[in-house]
Amino acid sequence: MSKTWLVLKNEFLSAVLRRSFLLTLVLLPLMSFIILLVVSGIQKSSGDANTDALTDFFSPKVESSNLPEGFIDLSGLVKEIPQASQEKLVRFDNEDTAKKAVEAGTISAYYVIEKDFLAEGTILYMRPDYNPLGGMENTGAIETLMANALTDGDIELAYRVQDPLNVKEVSLAATPQRSSSNMLTFFLPYIVTFLFYIVILTSSSLLLNNISTEKQNRMMEILMTSVTPRQMLTGKIIALGFVGLLQTIVWSGSGYLMLLFSGQQFALGDAFKLPPSILIWGIIYFILGYAVYASLMAGVGALVPNLREAGQTTTVVILPLIIPLVFISSLIQAPNSPLSVVLSLFPLTAPVSMMTRLAATTVPFWQTALAAVLIGLTALFLVQSAAKMFRAQNLLSGQSINTKTFFSALFGK
Amino acid sequence: MSTINVEQISKSFGAQKAVDNVSFDVEPGEIFGLLGPNGAGKTTSIRIILDIFKPDTGKVSILGGQMTEEKKNKIGYLPEERGLYQDISLDRCLIYLATLKGMDEHEAQKRISEYLEKFDLAASKKKKVKELSKGMQQKAQLITTLVHKPEIVIIDEPFSALDPVNTQMVKDILQEERARGTSIVMCTHQMHQVEALADRIALISQGKTVLYGTLANVRQQFAKEALIVRTSSALPAELPGVSEIEKTNSHNILHLVEGQKPQDILRELLTRNIVVEQFEIALPTLDEIFIEVVKNKGVSE
Repeated sequence: MSKTWLVLKNEFLSAVLRRSFLLTLVLLPLMSFIILLVVSGIQKSSGDANTDALTDFFSPKVESSNLPEGFIDLSGLVKEIPQASQEKLVRFDNEDTAKKAVEAGTISAYYVIEKDFLAEGTILYMRPDYNPLGGMENTGAIETLMANALTDGDIELAYRVQDPLNVKEVSLAATPQRSSSNMLTFFLPYIVTFLFYIVILTSSSLLLNNISTEKQNRMMEILMTSVTPRQMLTGKIIALGFVGLLQTIVWSGSGYLMLLFSGQQFALGDAFKLPPSILIWGIIYFILGYAVYASLMAGVGALVPNLREAGQTTTVVILPLIIPLVFISSLIQAPNSPLSVVLSLFPLTAPVSMMTRLAATTVPFWQTALAAVLIGLTALFLVQSAAKMFRAQNLLSGQSINTKTFFSALFGK
Repeated sequence: MSTINVEQISKSFGAQKAVDNVSFDVEPGEIFGLLGPNGAGKTTSIRIILDIFKPDTGKVSILGGQMTEEKKNKIGYLPEERGLYQDISLDRCLIYLATLKGMDEHEAQKRISEYLEKFDLAASKKKKVKELSKGMQQKAQLITTLVHKPEIVIIDEPFSALDPVNTQMVKDILQEERARGTSIVMCTHQMHQVEALADRIALISQGKTVLYGTLANVRQQFAKEALIVRTSSALPAELPGVSEIEKTNSHNILHLVEGQKPQDILRELLTRNIVVEQFEIALPTLDEIFIEVVKNKGVSE
């Protein structure tokens, strides 16, 4: 049996049979499942059969007071209070009576419509507490009141002025369409981004951990009388890549099952339908992204005497992996902006960024292909460099390294 | 044919010359002592023999030629910096390492069971390696060195961490291996073990071979012109041909005048009717030779 295969088999089994790995593998889907159960429980009890329950869970509505608000009209524009706002607004003639009503607890706050409202649009909002972020929750009623006043009591016209557009997006792309107003559409690119980030990071970190543990256990010298450094590196990279893939499959598989389950609860519709090509690109970008970061981590592992010494260098190495997370909003909201395109083509940020874009929009084929080619070439270079660093002398020496020595070694200096 | 043939190997790390023109041979069925103080270049020499490091100059021939993947499977190595996978069970660890030496898994399992019995470790085979004592781990490492019936065994400090019972067991095993025809290279600082086991030795100091030959030859080489003499009555204060008489608790050491033959001294003692209980040429111990050579080398450098 080939020794590379023996190394591969041993590394794979050692990694997946570790208690911590099994726990992470099972716990993450289990926790998501529990959250889902709780959310669907809330949904059922409120009788609300759409995804708003999910939205509410992640960003709950600000609690608003049930008390009406008062207003004092100094401009003389308000002739009547529209039907819909009559329970929400109470007219006062002057500020003193309004203040007393606030103190007595009959109204929660009051508005003062200034004399020059028509020219300036100024309305003072007087409330007893100070809450700059949570305030103005009841402006809907006053807006309707003013719109109604400005349209001479034509309430339909007032509503149209208040909310002139009702845009419905229709994508011309051939890929399945997702409702852009659905909260799940909003979350999906985030989920894909974080899943990709976690899987690439954990599986390549596993490699660094593995190599430095072997060094600490003083196994290297014994191993090197049986296998060559290249056999060892190949076996380890492939084995831990499979571990990462297994993790991805289990996590996304249970994610899929959860969606199936929640589909009945949530009335999902097309919200979660992703183009099937994203799965194929996902596998390609995972393999390439993993090859890039695993080689870098293997290089660090070959040079450092133990895991503690690896800290600083590892941080620098994984920095490009974090960049897409920093720009995640830009990537999702403007997936075809120059920044997004650059991030998804630059080989070190591309694996995660491109997946984010693919989950957020339709990416031109040439970009996905070019990114794959660029990451592929980088991976090829880095695998070669890591193999060079994976020499007996480095593996057996216990010298500490810094980021500079690592990059010098990486570029063969 | 020598199993290991080391020819004028040199290796530097930066400005440091770790091995400088070292040569020696190891024959089948012998225990070869590779000796030297710490940092002398023994480990680097061994790593070159094992093809872990490439020499800058010189060459090594193993089992009649260059090192190959197949030949690696015929070598058992116990390094000084030894270790085992700590987080897996003992038998899994041993089986994995044996399969890396080209053994089929079933065969490895069978032979490892035998060794575990022999080394009194059978009860601990399902325990994690980190749960074993240092001595038990040392025995486990010996199993990985020997389980694939290697033709060459290279073993660094085989007796460290072993109690006298286990030390004797390892000595017996090394002798069994020698009888089987295995070439054994043994590095140790325990000179009495080398005296008890080794057929030939090489002493390396500061990267260079400073002594090489059979144990008897080396000791002969360092024999001072002195005699160990034990008599039932007191020795006369002066004897012809003797420059100094040194008294110890059990015997006298007679330092001879240069060129003086020991037989003449014995004849003189017998003529004087002194009852001689012990009369032998004083050969230095390996410890003494080691210290002398290493110190002189240090002084001369």
